[in-house]
Amino acid sequence: MTAAKSTKAPFFRHEFVLVAVIVLEVILFQALGRRFLDGSNVSNIFRFSVEVGLLALAMTPVILTGGIDLSVGSMMGLCAVCFGMLVKDASLSPWVAAVLSIGIGTVGGGLNAFLIARMKLPPLIVTLGTFSLFRGLAEALTKGSKSYSAFPDSFLALGNSTVAGLPAQLWIFFLVAIGIWLLVHRTTLGRSFRAIGYSPEGSRYAGIPVERNLSLAYILTGAVAGLAAVILVARLGEARANAGIGYELLAITAVVLGGTSIFGGSGTIAGTLLGFLAVAILNNGLKRMQDYEIFDKTIASVSNEMSGMLTGLLLLVALAAVPVVKAITARRAKS
Amino acid sequence: MNGKYSREISVAAALGLLLVALALFAPNFYELQPLLSRTTSQMPALVAAIGITLVIITRQIDISIGAQFSLCGVVAGLVAAAGMPLGVAVLAAVGAGAFLGAFNGLLVAWLGLPSIVVTLATMVTWNELLRLWQQGRFMNLPAGFQWFGLSQAAGQGVVIGVAVALLLAAAWSMKNLAAGRRVYATGTDAEAARLAGIDPKWTTFGVFVLMGALAGIAATLNLVQSPQVQPNAGDGLELKVIAAAVVGGVAINGGRGNLWGVLLGLLLLANVNPALTHFKMEPYWERAIQGLVILLAVIADGMKRTKKAA
Repeated sequence: MTAAKSTKAPFFRHEFVLVAVIVLEVILFQALGRRFLDGSNVSNIFRFSVEVGLLALAMTPVILTGGIDLSVGSMMGLCAVCFGMLVKDASLSPWVAAVLSIGIGTVGGGLNAFLIARMKLPPLIVTLGTFSLFRGLAEALTKGSKSYSAFPDSFLALGNSTVAGLPAQLWIFFLVAIGIWLLVHRTTLGRSFRAIGYSPEGSRYAGIPVERNLSLAYILTGAVAGLAAVILVARLGEARANAGIGYELLAITAVVLGGTSIFGGSGTIAGTLLGFLAVAILNNGLKRMQDYEIFDKTIASVSNEMSGMLTGLLLLVALAAVPVVKAITARRAKS
Repeated sequence: MNGKYSREISVAAALGLLLVALALFAPNFYELQPLLSRTTSQMPALVAAIGITLVIITRQIDISIGAQFSLCGVVAGLVAAAGMPLGVAVLAAVGAGAFLGAFNGLLVAWLGLPSIVVTLATMVTWNELLRLWQQGRFMNLPAGFQWFGLSQAAGQGVVIGVAVALLLAAAWSMKNLAAGRRVYATGTDAEAARLAGIDPKWTTFGVFVLMGALAGIAATLNLVQSPQVQPNAGDGLELKVIAAAVVGGVAINGGRGNLWGVLLGLLLLANVNPALTHFKMEPYWERAIQGLVILLAVIADGMKRTKKAA
């Protein structure tokens, strides 16, 4: 009974704390930045952050298995460039190019999967290598500076129109979120992710096809990175090699903030969604300070750096909170 | 013996091949003055590579070193611009680096957090802090700072001398000092090291502090080569030196590797870009090639391990 309590209680507390953080952010930005809760701004928050949300969703299974994928941001850059080339140089329809770009992401994810699951190489260094490789290919293909733009309006609508009152890409996000939620929480495959993260050797003895399931997690991440790249291009109307720089950090932050253990084995999609909301609102709120010149100009003009820095700090605090709280409760229990 | 140094031998062979190819097809690669400048410009990376080698042998990673490098460079530049003597600027850079390293070390060693995520977060935090603070502006350094106030040739000599001295000292200590053996022991098996009376936490912490201090020294060696402080001087440094270490045979699982292999790895990677230009290829491929080399090196490592296990 006490054991069940001690595993469940902090978990509930975690999501409660996240909701409190989100409410606090909203109150703060509503007080500082006028019209923060306006319908148009709320939909902007989602429009501008769907890509990170998608990456965070797909990153969750990977981190559940005790792995990590640092290459997602670079994968976006490569997929965005390939998309641009397919549409502009090969003059394909943007929708065919979109499917092919997702395919390229899947192949890239497959490369990670092969090296990590099959060759049993450490995910950290493999994805650090592909982080460099994918971005490098994107730069080489565009000679460092070329960018593709002037895509057809019907395609740009994916990133800039509203469907039933919500940003078009948000519907795709919902679909992916439901899909990954079902996968992680309602299938044996999803449960095996946690089992693998908890104990890879134990999972093998339990008859779980560790190699196959681990591969699927990385392949899924690659495919979703391709999708995120297509959505990003549709929103910006431009495809270039620097698409998605630093997104891996935002995605990992959202996942860890959402309570998924960085060592694998425990975590939820609901937590990831809350973590993503906290990151997205922070970024949007700080960017709006710039638009409304809330502080004096010097601070307002650097809100991009501020939000980057605060995201990094937020990740550190979220990471450190778990062992610190554990140490404090252990000390209390002793005395 | 042969098996033990097989990685060093194959990297040396690859480097030799590259150098011979350059000698045959692009002999102007060997003109003395440009060669000396290129060598000097690689010395900061060499110093940073010493640090990352120790970190990886301890079974950790530090991807914040590029950010540390940039930050230390700006700190040294500000101190120098304030009219302080050169020595104070160097001390400030090293102190700042050690402090940043201690921050990583604290979170990794005592809170038991994974170094990859900790240093990913500190990398972004320091980089953005720096952009916030400096707004990307280039700062002019006082005269007498460049090349330590010596002639260019003498300055280059000092830079190369300092880096090589650090390399020799580190390689000797790793082999012969108890502290060096502790680093290997912690990386091989932290629990066994603890039972043998080594404190793996202090060892890990110490290695991160040393990494930061070396990043500070590297930043100074970089600073004296130009009349200005570049606020983003360390961008991408982490990948370059991690690649050098992995290519040079440092096992990413800790416990194995030596600095001579890392030196060879760094020389090989450092010559990729000049080779690309000399063979009239596009330099945009540099990052992709770097990534590919990292992957090939870990694959070679992995195949070696499975062979041993079988």
